[in-house]
Amino acid sequence: MLDLIEFGIFIVLLIVGFFAGTIVEKRHYASIRQRERQYADVLAFSVRFPPDRVTPQRAFLVHGTVVISSDYFKTFVAGLRNLFGGRVRTYETLMERARREALLRLKHDARRQGAKLVICVRFETTTISTGYAASIEVFAYGTALIPDRESAIAFGARSGVAA
Amino acid sequence: MKFENRAPAEGINSSPENPLIELGWLLAGSLGVIVALVIVTSLAAQWIAPRIPYRYEAKLAATLPPFATAPDNEAGRQVQAELQELADRLAARLDMPDGMVVRIGYRDDRTVNAFATIGGQAVFFRGLLAKLDNENALAMVMAHELAHLKFRHASAALGRGVAVGVILSVVSAELARNAAAGVLSQASMATLLSFNRDQEREADEAALRALHAEYGHVGGAIDLFDVLARLPGEQRESKIASVEFLRTHPLTANRIEAIKQWAVENGAPIDGPRRPLPPAIAALRKAAAS
Repeated sequence: MLDLIEFGIFIVLLIVGFFAGTIVEKRHYASIRQRERQYADVLAFSVRFPPDRVTPQRAFLVHGTVVISSDYFKTFVAGLRNLFGGRVRTYETLMERARREALLRLKHDARRQGAKLVICVRFETTTISTGYAASIEVFAYGTALIPDRESAIAFGARSGVAA
Repeated sequence: MKFENRAPAEGINSSPENPLIELGWLLAGSLGVIVALVIVTSLAAQWIAPRIPYRYEAKLAATLPPFATAPDNEAGRQVQAELQELADRLAARLDMPDGMVVRIGYRDDRTVNAFATIGGQAVFFRGLLAKLDNENALAMVMAHELAHLKFRHASAALGRGVAVGVILSVVSAELARNAAAGVLSQASMATLLSFNRDQEREADEAALRALHAEYGHVGGAIDLFDVLARLPGEQRESKIASVEFLRTHPLTANRIEAIKQWAVENGAPIDGPRRPLPPAIAALRKAAAS
């Protein structure tokens, strides 16, 4: 009897995990796509040096971080997948959402400080917890650049180079 | 060089495939593997366990509380003594394993059952004894249980249970994060501690040989299954969690047919003079009737 209750709870968790997880994921993707269009004017690249190396720039660190959790269904399927190997499809969407969200938050940070260009963008991932509460943190950081006309003039005046 | 950001491509880093399909395949695959593993292990353990010398089984049984006990009263002890006497007589005809000391227990309980278990022990319930009307029928049950002991069926069942238990605990450790593992292991454990039909048939045949040798006919076996066939369904269910006499047995009607066939093939008469039950056991029947 107790086993049956345990099994029932497990099935309910699985079903709840599946439906709640699917809805949350759909909404998240919709929000990500909408904001990606919204932040299209903030450019982010992985290059180490500014595309424009002539204009002096104000540079500062911007970052975006997100913690995102798996659901019961995803974790269960991933657990079974561990037995056989292969692509853990249920986690692929999780990671993709986390990376895109982190990048969006980085762009948000950049725009908030007036920058439209971020270079040297890097991603870091941390596992917050494993097991049935598996969640991950994705951290995106980069160097935001703002063309600095004023200091360019000052720099030019001092060194004798025309701005 | 012109730098620009484009919208991230969809469907490259994640698959649009329905995760339920993946779940279906994975579940079917893992269940299949576990079932195959359990079957192979259980067959192997069942084969090996009775081939381990009996003294190890005796050692193991000595660490457990004894099954073959009697109620703490004079009448109960008398019934046990009579059962033990019959068992000793039949055991002499069954060629028991080296070193096995058969001990018969008696329980004052209305369950219609008897069972054999590890360490050369068999237990009879008052409910069954009170249904029998001659020694020959009782001897059939006794010889059947002794045959289970002789063929070490309890040992096989235990070996299978332990081996499968080990496999499932390993599997569930492997599935560590899967609540399903616990469910799987419990479902499989439920069916473990019983004898299968082949073992029952083997025990029946050995019992018939012993019966034939002891009484010169196998009428007791027919009497026994007549009694069992008349039992209402719920009485065939046993309360005892261990090895059961009735539930796993081949259908009673089939068994009567099998006895007759065996008798024809082996030239054993199916009828002959019956011996009365020993007095203390006979008293149980009278007490039940009044």
